[in-house]
Amino acid sequence: MKNGNRRRNAAVFLICAAVILLAVTASGILLEEAAVETDFAEKNLPPSNRALFGTDWMGRDMFARTLAGLSLSIRIGVLTAVVSGIAALLLGIAAATLGRKVDAVISWCIDLVMGIPHILLVMLVSIACGRGFAGVVAGVALSHWPSLARVIRGEVIQLRQAPYILTADKLGVSRLKIVRRHMLPHIMPQFLIGMVLLFPHAILHEAGVTFLGFGLSSEQPAIGVILSESMGYLTTGKWWLALFPGAALVLVVLLFSVAGEYIRRLADPASAHE
Amino acid sequence: MKRLPSVSLSVALTVLLAAGCAAGGQGNTETAQSGADDASSVVIAMGPTSEPEAGFDPAYGWGAGEHVHEPLIQSTLTVTNPDLTIGYDLATDYSASEDGLTWTVTIRDDVKFTDGEPLTAEDVAFTYNTVKESSSVNDFTMLDYAQAADDTTVLFHMTRAFSIWPYTMAIVGIIPEHAYDSATYGSNPIGSGRYMLRQWDRGQQVILEANPDYYGEAPKMQQVTILFMEEDAAFLAAQAGEVDLAYTSATYSDQAIDGYSLAAYDSVDNRGFNLPAVEEGTDDAGRTAGNDLTADVRVRRAVNIGIDRQEMIDNVLNGYGSPAYSICDRLPWYNEASEVEYDPEGAAALLDEAGWLLNEDNVREKDGVPAKLNLLYATGDSVRQALAADFADQLGELGISCTVEGVGWDTAYDRALSDPLIWGWGAHTPMELYNIYHTADGSGSARYSPYSNAAVDAYMDQALACSDLEESYELWQESQWDGQTGVTQGGDIPWVWLVNIDHLYWVRDGLQVAEQKIHPHGHGWSVVNNVDQWSWS
Repeated sequence: MKNGNRRRNAAVFLICAAVILLAVTASGILLEEAAVETDFAEKNLPPSNRALFGTDWMGRDMFARTLAGLSLSIRIGVLTAVVSGIAALLLGIAAATLGRKVDAVISWCIDLVMGIPHILLVMLVSIACGRGFAGVVAGVALSHWPSLARVIRGEVIQLRQAPYILTADKLGVSRLKIVRRHMLPHIMPQFLIGMVLLFPHAILHEAGVTFLGFGLSSEQPAIGVILSESMGYLTTGKWWLALFPGAALVLVVLLFSVAGEYIRRLADPASAHE
Repeated sequence: MKRLPSVSLSVALTVLLAAGCAAGGQGNTETAQSGADDASSVVIAMGPTSEPEAGFDPAYGWGAGEHVHEPLIQSTLTVTNPDLTIGYDLATDYSASEDGLTWTVTIRDDVKFTDGEPLTAEDVAFTYNTVKESSSVNDFTMLDYAQAADDTTVLFHMTRAFSIWPYTMAIVGIIPEHAYDSATYGSNPIGSGRYMLRQWDRGQQVILEANPDYYGEAPKMQQVTILFMEEDAAFLAAQAGEVDLAYTSATYSDQAIDGYSLAAYDSVDNRGFNLPAVEEGTDDAGRTAGNDLTADVRVRRAVNIGIDRQEMIDNVLNGYGSPAYSICDRLPWYNEASEVEYDPEGAAALLDEAGWLLNEDNVREKDGVPAKLNLLYATGDSVRQALAADFADQLGELGISCTVEGVGWDTAYDRALSDPLIWGWGAHTPMELYNIYHTADGSGSARYSPYSNAAVDAYMDQALACSDLEESYELWQESQWDGQTGVTQGGDIPWVWLVNIDHLYWVRDGLQVAEQKIHPHGHGWSVVNNVDQWSWS
């Protein structure tokens, strides 16, 4: 009885989270123009009914900027998580099924990438790719696949010894077909959960690298840009420039993170006993 | 388990934010206390970029370069007067030969370095030959070599006539030949100037002490401490009463600090956009150069008169600035013909005349092509970003639709060849006119933005070849506008100048800051050019 409630609660939460995130993403896209529109007659306004989150030193509406920034972050997060996830899936399966040499090479790559601090790697790749949107996406995507790849590799290695896989092999089913028909469906839950849990990382790293000046260009309404701009104004008491965008970023990240946990509960009920 | 890294990253972000605010709080407490109570010492907060990386060595840019100022520790041959004409420091007289290829400078014979050795013409010649060899921040190609004729006479043999040589002499601090080692001089300089370096804690502070044997008027300020800190830290340091004078910007101008007042000093620290004056194409180096919209001189003229500079100053600089009409407003070589009235109707008429007509969306079009500009600014400079945004808004009202893009300096120079970039200039030498407007050797175009005018070039060449400095001012003015052609509204207007940014400082009550020369570009050492004349009341 209790379990049933939890599953239903999880499902309700997931739907709510998805609706919120979609709403933020969509409204951010719609507000993109408003987010960069300057109005010097309305600069440095504290939060009020007129400007919910206040305005900055160029009179830009912080509410529009926050939503546009979150939207941009979420879209980059989705893009990079998908790219990373697919890379992890392919490499994880390849390592586990294509023999020892391939496994050694891929495992070495995983160790290498995991050995470098994330933020540093993101910065380096981003600079190498010319910063901006392409730089950030490349940086985040190329640095976030190893942990998921390692999980998938482990799963597949375990799976290789499963009786039904061994049987299929003995019956002469081709390797590719085994992977497609028998392995992929099995690891799909772990893969999906892993990918959802990549979002918060991707978003925070995007914001972090942009904050440090190695990511998105400063005219874009990204959360990292907003936060780094706010730095110069905090000492003069303009707290709203940092508080709302920062809190909103944390909320979105938490939402993704908790949603990932709930998906795990739904897709992998056994983990509830861990 | 998986959430941990993301949480720790957000914590790290928060810590970074907090650290930025706190960075300045750690200043040096020892110096902080000595501030106000000692009547002959002063503590000044400058930006971290003001700290000379290579130390106080004129051969490696101390006093010279992009942000010129008096070297304080060393003497110079000449100085710039408050009106930016030339006065004497070490020199007692100078003259140029008729062909301009030899400068003869006589110097005082009563000057000693702080190690007790006399300063002679040999030291001057040594300095200039050394600076020519090693200076990476200044152009010394016009100097062939310097030579001491006797103890008090120096001859400068030039490779080409260079009438504004006295302005170069005003920024080269004289170093002692007997005690110069390029490896150590920067951190342990010996000079003959008003101050001696007592202590330098890299990344934190510089303490200067008055030179007791100074040949000129004895400095009133016996000790000058300069702290290097970020702008927000400087503000907090003033709030905490730790500094006597702290640099600040328009961002903070609406604040008030007990016991301090906000001082605004005139500057020629201008901001302006280059307007590429040729049609889009590819230059010799394969870069995109030129802009189809700004290639039309009528469009450039419309932009120049269609901009309300005062509105920009009020909006972005909180009123702390003055309209800029040239790269050298109010300097002796400035041509007042540069000044224009704000005239939006006139601008609209010019654009109509050029064939750029308003469509129903209030954007101008010509042959179906909309009038669009992508304005560039240097990432991280909030004032330039805001000026660019205001400029974009104002051009939007004229019917030119603008986007604004932040770029790093690594790509900005190349990008500016085809898109207008917001620049900051303003130096105490007419050479800047030459650098901006004169056709660069071998390329057929000026250095920073595609433009070339043989008549303008000719005036500047004549100005440099001129043997008389006063006369050269007139030629520099004519290069800007001679009644027929030039770089002003009536001429080619290849750059549009917007504002001169006042340099703002928090000044502790009672500190009498001596009258300032018009500050050049760079919000750093120029304020202490005359710190020896400051006093407490």
